Amino acid sequence: MSERFRKVLAVSLAVVLALGISGLAGCAKKTGGETGGETGNKPVKGGTLSFYLNEPAFIDPYNAQESEGVQVVSAVFDSLVDFDPITSEIRPAAAESWESNEDATVWTFHLRKGAKFHNGREVKAEDFKYAWERICNPENKSEISYHLSAVKGYDEMQEGKATELEGVKVVDDYTLQVTLKEPFGDFEYVVGHPALAPVPKEELDTPEKAKAFADKPIGNGPFMMAEPWKHDQEIKIVRFDDYYGEPAYLDGVDFKIFKDEETAFLEFKAGNLDFTSIPSGQLKATIQQYGESPDGYTVEPGKQVLTGSELAVYYVILNNKDKLLANKTLRQAFSLAVNRQAIVDSVFEGTRDPATGIVPKGIVGYQDGAWPYAKYDKEQAAKLLAEAGYPEGKGLPEVTLSYNSGSGHEAIMELIASDLKALGVNVKLDGQEWAQYLDKLDAGEFQMGRLGWIADYPIMDNFLYPLFQSKSADNHSFYANPQVDSLLAEARKTPDADARIEKYREAERMIGEDAPVIPIVFYKHGRVGSDRIRDFVYGPMGIAALDKAWIAQ
Amino acid sequence: MLKYIARRILQMVPVFFGVTILLFILRAPGVLPGDPIRMITGEKAISPALYQELVKENGLDKPLPVQYVTYLGKLVHGDLGRSYQKDRPVVEIFADKYPNTIRLALAAIVIEIIVGIAAGIISAVKQYSFLDVVVTLSTSVLVSVPVFWLGMMFQVLLGIKLKEWTGGAFYLPMSGMGSPPDLAHLVLPAVTLASVSTAYAARITRSQLLEVMGQDYIRTAVAKGLSDRAVIFKHALKNAMIPVVTFIGLDLGAMMSGAILTETIFNWPGVGLEIYFSIQQRDWPIVMGGVIIVVFAVMLINLIVDISYAFLDPRIRYGGPAK
Repeated sequence: MSERFRKVLAVSLAVVLALGISGLAGCAKKTGGETGGETGNKPVKGGTLSFYLNEPAFIDPYNAQESEGVQVVSAVFDSLVDFDPITSEIRPAAAESWESNEDATVWTFHLRKGAKFHNGREVKAEDFKYAWERICNPENKSEISYHLSAVKGYDEMQEGKATELEGVKVVDDYTLQVTLKEPFGDFEYVVGHPALAPVPKEELDTPEKAKAFADKPIGNGPFMMAEPWKHDQEIKIVRFDDYYGEPAYLDGVDFKIFKDEETAFLEFKAGNLDFTSIPSGQLKATIQQYGESPDGYTVEPGKQVLTGSELAVYYVILNNKDKLLANKTLRQAFSLAVNRQAIVDSVFEGTRDPATGIVPKGIVGYQDGAWPYAKYDKEQAAKLLAEAGYPEGKGLPEVTLSYNSGSGHEAIMELIASDLKALGVNVKLDGQEWAQYLDKLDAGEFQMGRLGWIADYPIMDNFLYPLFQSKSADNHSFYANPQVDSLLAEARKTPDADARIEKYREAERMIGEDAPVIPIVFYKHGRVGSDRIRDFVYGPMGIAALDKAWIAQ
Repeated sequence: MLKYIARRILQMVPVFFGVTILLFILRAPGVLPGDPIRMITGEKAISPALYQELVKENGLDKPLPVQYVTYLGKLVHGDLGRSYQKDRPVVEIFADKYPNTIRLALAAIVIEIIVGIAAGIISAVKQYSFLDVVVTLSTSVLVSVPVFWLGMMFQVLLGIKLKEWTGGAFYLPMSGMGSPPDLAHLVLPAVTLASVSTAYAARITRSQLLEVMGQDYIRTAVAKGLSDRAVIFKHALKNAMIPVVTFIGLDLGAMMSGAILTETIFNWPGVGLEIYFSIQQRDWPIVMGGVIIVVFAVMLINLIVDISYAFLDPRIRYGGPAK
């Protein structure tokens, strides 16, 4: 009998082994072909970079929104202008040059001649008009049409009263003129968003083509799609040799889509990924193993971990309409009571910076310590609390702090609550599912909450206007200060960049004095690259400059 | 038998209505908080014009019963609607992903059947032997080890360490399906997904077989001089199999609705996570479509399991008059 069962066991083992060996054979093939040898500092052509990505929502520019989709779109498309990946300085891209009139209401962009789409056709001014109208057409349900909300005719298109953007005029094949509803001195930055890139109309004229375009968009950028997007698996792009600018060094980039950054990180460690994010709690160990990049944005061999600032802020919103929190002094006291450094150290392992205002580092015009109350000062907080009429919290009712549970917010909210508790304020924590939490925010049924904000463009306006202009839909704290509103409007009207930044700075300080929200931390990268990639820059906007990167062979 | 199958298929109809109506009740205002349209843009506000457009296009301005009838009407034509979040047809999303779930589930079930039942037989037949101790001990460990831990151990040992030790020559892929999908990428996820169930299958097989082996008819079979092989495979095993088949059938049904942990660890593009995230996002078309597909898959598997009983135990006959 025992012989019989040994056979059964042997057969099952054989099956398992067979599965295993077929796997091993598959792998052995893939590892071949890599050759060693140092090439020095001169960029060489060739090689495919593999890049960790979450599943994007869209890679068609008309709806490119989160950093994942924008990363792909920015490699496949070129907008009128773009930004230096590190300094965020504005640079020509599809437009060679541009100018605005005196009050920044009419902008004229002069396009580069001879620049081509990936289908070989030349990019012309009408392609921008077409792309922008595609975004504004309500039938297309673009979620990012707000980028163009400053353009004349935007509202009419959104309401379905017009089929064309009145403010966008094709002067000739290479001249695009844009008229705005109101002055907007920073509009040149807005048109740098990858979503506002030109699209070739002929690739979208039937529903079948449009459907194919959604998974395999045809752009004018340094890379083109190699094959349609394999959802939840992979997006492959390859070099576009007919690119108007300096062609890319890389043969291509494989965006490997992972749901879980832990898995991606393991693949990186196994040498199967060139760039990935570092899961929480592993930053220090990763820096020890791979070294930290001096500028925080560029991967160099032995200095591979990126910790540069991002253009994003994490903040607690205070409902300025709430009976209690309408009290400015009380808001100031709350803001001073939060020990941001403790949150950075204990929750983020140093992967964030304590916020000193609402506009983060890396934004043109950033001022350190812009908000007088965005710091930790227990004594001053206690003094202000007494001034507000609640010495040591006496007579102050319990305050509710709502947040969306999961995603690690609990730990931060608990620290904030305990800081406030130390001040004498009783805080009730109210964690909810994201969907439910959003409902509450929109309805204004909260006292304190949490939110994050990521810049679309590297300008101060992108933080101050949406978050604090009294009529803005993203102003969840219901902050309304007529002085701030008029200062922001004035800043937008100022054509001179330096004078404009001064106005924004003044507005930022003015808002900070009112403490309508409590800035907690500024984001930083927590990413790591392989030792074979060179000149790989992942800038503060969270987009890798893939056109200049190369692989040592 | 055919009559029985027909009746079972007919029984799916009320289940279908029950499930879909229940899901629609969940969508009624106030039942489950969270506005699906608002969810589309996340932390950024959605423009009123777009909001109206989306509400209208998805028919959310109509009363719930009307929405339900519209949904059924489309369903008859094989249209499960479009995802709110991804703006892709739901049918397309599941056509992409369901085959992956089936691949993973079948691979795991094959491991479960071969390894689990074999281990169970060995440990029952050689009760209290060294092999029995090994099986009993290892199944106890497997049952209590968390799947995500086991999965990550496999990744580190067979994906990273093995590659280091062999200088990059041999290792098992840790994630994804490979392109084109290959068997190598299936190994770790399938073994991980099968781990706990295999242990259960082994334990159930063992205890059932031991029970059956103690019965009179087995003693008779042995007494009349049948070989061990005939006794175990022809007489004992078949009778011991019914609970095992029930367990494996239920397990396969569960796997057919996706395996959230395994899919996450191994980056396997199956339906489990898809449905899970869609619930959080209130992406109703995906939730509805996913649940309908999964419900039918599970009912189909249950039917197959029930039919297989008849082959295992000749006393079980469906549809015919009682004997």
